[in-house]
Amino acid sequence: MGRACWFAAALLIVTVGISRAEEAAIAQIKKVTGQATILRSGERRPASVGDNLFVKDVIETGSEGTIGITFIDNTVFSTGPDSQIALDAFEFDSTNFRGSMLADMRRGTLAVVSGDVTRSSPGAMKVRTPTAVLGVRGTTFAVQVYGDH
Amino acid sequence: MQRSSIALACLILLAGCPRQALFVVLPSEEGAVGAITVDDGKTVTTLDQPYAAAEARAGASQPVEESRANIDITFRRAFAAQPILPQHFRLYFILGSDELTPQSAAAYHSVFDDIKRRPVYQVEVVGHTDTLGDARTNQTLSLARAAALRDRLVRNGIEADAISVAGRGKLDLIVPTADGVSEPRNRCVVITVR
Repeated sequence: MGRACWFAAALLIVTVGISRAEEAAIAQIKKVTGQATILRSGERRPASVGDNLFVKDVIETGSEGTIGITFIDNTVFSTGPDSQIALDAFEFDSTNFRGSMLADMRRGTLAVVSGDVTRSSPGAMKVRTPTAVLGVRGTTFAVQVYGDH
Repeated sequence: MQRSSIALACLILLAGCPRQALFVVLPSEEGAVGAITVDDGKTVTTLDQPYAAAEARAGASQPVEESRANIDITFRRAFAAQPILPQHFRLYFILGSDELTPQSAAAYHSVFDDIKRRPVYQVEVVGHTDTLGDARTNQTLSLARAAALRDRLVRNGIEADAISVAGRGKLDLIVPTADGVSEPRNRCVVITVR
């Protein structure tokens, strides 16, 4: 009996731990026009205003599509048409502003207003492109990556 | 002399390669200019002025002059897709209470209006106190302040699921003071709307 209880308690902790990690949204879609898609675990689904985004999601726009998202650290991304950006890594603790972010910009255009994660340390926010890695110290910038890489 | 000729020849050759990427720093709304570094594995280019730009050709990055007209055209759709930016508010409370000061009771409406203008929203409310009294009382009070504000927003029609509350007690002071100090600016909630 005692052993079963311990086992159940341990299992509960493990399960809750896993589901929490899986459920933690890192950003929310705030604005969408035209064809806009979320790629998640190999599946494509239409992106809609209000959708939550998670680590490893990829946002993608068609020839007339755009997407605007806000992360939980208040970083803001907005993409123009024909863009693909993977949210490779994101960690943020709002009580002490510690965290890190890595976005993989594969093609298209992206405008960024950086958020609290850049307060963590100088190298906390990175944007990878096919030719270079951007280190973000703060505020507003834009990146264009030409297609066919 | 010879070396610089070779370097010049390389630059001319590189300029003939198609552009692979463009990186631009923009002026921010708060006026503060940030900086980005562009690391292509060989060189690191720092961009720290408004409209400073770099481009990549043949895998190599270098600074480039990019006209504002070109920047506006290139990123027009991306700029237009930008959501309403996150906003921060502070509302202040009466000593030892979860009731807003008269001034902040009026300012509450600007918080409410800011939430309502967004198609979707998330609201974070974090309560604080000054350093009068013990830690436990202040922890309870800071959370009560955040909860009181949440309840008011919910009564006015804001979705409860979209609001998170937290209390920091007297451990995370807005204005640093010694212990046991009455400081009106520390009796507040910080509200982030995004």
